[in-house]
Amino acid sequence: MTLPDIQKTLIQGIASITSKDEAAISADVPFHELGIDSLGFVEILVFIEKTFKLQLIETGLDKKDFATIHSLASFLHKKL
Amino acid sequence: MKQTTCAGNMSQVVLILDSVISPSDLQKRLGRFISEFPVVNGSISRDINICPYWRMPGNTEGELNLVSYDCADESGLLPLLAECANRPFKDGTEHLAFHLINVQNQKSCLAMTFDHRLFDARGAESFLRLFQQHVESNSIAGVSSGVSLTAPAHLSGWMKKFLAGRNVNRKIISLSEHSLAALPVSDGKKKGFRFRLIRFSEQETKTIYDNAYRSAGYLMETPYLLSVIMQAVNGLFMSRKSEEGSYLAAVSIDMRSCEDIKQELFFNHVSYLFFQAQSHLVNNRNELVNSVKLQMYDQIKTGLPRDIIEASHLTRIAPLSFFKKIIDGPLKGKIATFIFSHVSKNPLSPELMGAKIEDVFHLPRVPVPPGLGFFSNYFNGRLNLVISYLDGLMSDDEVDVLERTITERMLEG
Repeated sequence: MTLPDIQKTLIQGIASITSKDEAAISADVPFHELGIDSLGFVEILVFIEKTFKLQLIETGLDKKDFATIHSLASFLHKKL
Repeated sequence: MKQTTCAGNMSQVVLILDSVISPSDLQKRLGRFISEFPVVNGSISRDINICPYWRMPGNTEGELNLVSYDCADESGLLPLLAECANRPFKDGTEHLAFHLINVQNQKSCLAMTFDHRLFDARGAESFLRLFQQHVESNSIAGVSSGVSLTAPAHLSGWMKKFLAGRNVNRKIISLSEHSLAALPVSDGKKKGFRFRLIRFSEQETKTIYDNAYRSAGYLMETPYLLSVIMQAVNGLFMSRKSEEGSYLAAVSIDMRSCEDIKQELFFNHVSYLFFQAQSHLVNNRNELVNSVKLQMYDQIKTGLPRDIIEASHLTRIAPLSFFKKIIDGPLKGKIATFIFSHVSKNPLSPELMGAKIEDVFHLPRVPVPPGLGFFSNYFNGRLNLVISYLDGLMSDDEVDVLERTITERMLEG
């Protein structure tokens, strides 16, 4: 998958989890500013496992990799 | 059964305001606002052979229950709020009561006691946010559009609900494999709830969130807070020389997103996650945090919170005695060691009737059993934590130790 494809898939998943329009979700806004808390974040991690077959809950959940959709997409792109 | 579980049906959201607001002005504005929402004066009704439903009142002129008090000093505030939280509603149609407390003619405190059938915690905050909008615009037209005043009836898809019930039952059985630690609930006369409020400063809150990030990862404050509380509770059981081997925390969660709340304001949308830890694991913070994170992940992946919501609709058709059998059977009368919730977002705007909101916290009465709960919320850069417990469940000394241990462990990382 290309980086833009991963980013688009993530935005679709996050829009579904947060009940927001895809257009209202910016790839450069931190997750906590999207109104996402621990529960929402774990829902995103489950979405990632189901979509990309990558389990991330046991990784360090480092802020630099998970801060925004863009940085998360880059992180996933490296892992895939 | 009914006598014990109904104790958890009330909660109270408290707003601390930086100046005094007029009781008569509040009465007038609240009265006008509440009259726009007859649903708050509804009642549970059940016609022959039909599932229970929320009956809207015939008379839309609901009576507003607002009582004002004076409090001579701030130390008297929490006991007064506890008294308000423990006061029962007068009948089956009253689900809201307001208490306005004038503190030393300098501050006010507005407490809204609510029936948990009408609102969950975030629904109650959102309702007060609507009141703020109503005050600002002085008309119902100024209140956010799109508020849903009717909940779906959920009277179809029963097979799905039964399958969800089967999954929940299996989870209950798996949780009951280990002997569960719980504080003994004394029977006898009706007892009220007592509360302790731990308020962390902005700097302390920042330290706690940094600790949560280092220990659990990005946006993982809920597993961190729960782990700290579980360790403190372990200390309490150790001091009692309890021999039970396992702690079980029932964590209430709101499955709605921030967007959903705007449309599903009324009624209760809470579900639960369950976290179990063996006492030998609890002493190791890192292992405990990892275990909590993995349990959270697994339960969300398997859809347990949604199954609980689905299965809870079965309560409409199953007699209470059936649920008593489940609790008395595999759970041996113990539902959890304690209940926990963390509200990380708040919809309120900074002012109410010209007064600045300095703080917000919740004082929920916890269902019995277990009669013990920890409720944290984040507001305006600060974290609050409320310990709610059935009177007599713990001694004052034990609560002092619990409070001190939680505070120290939160800050030490």
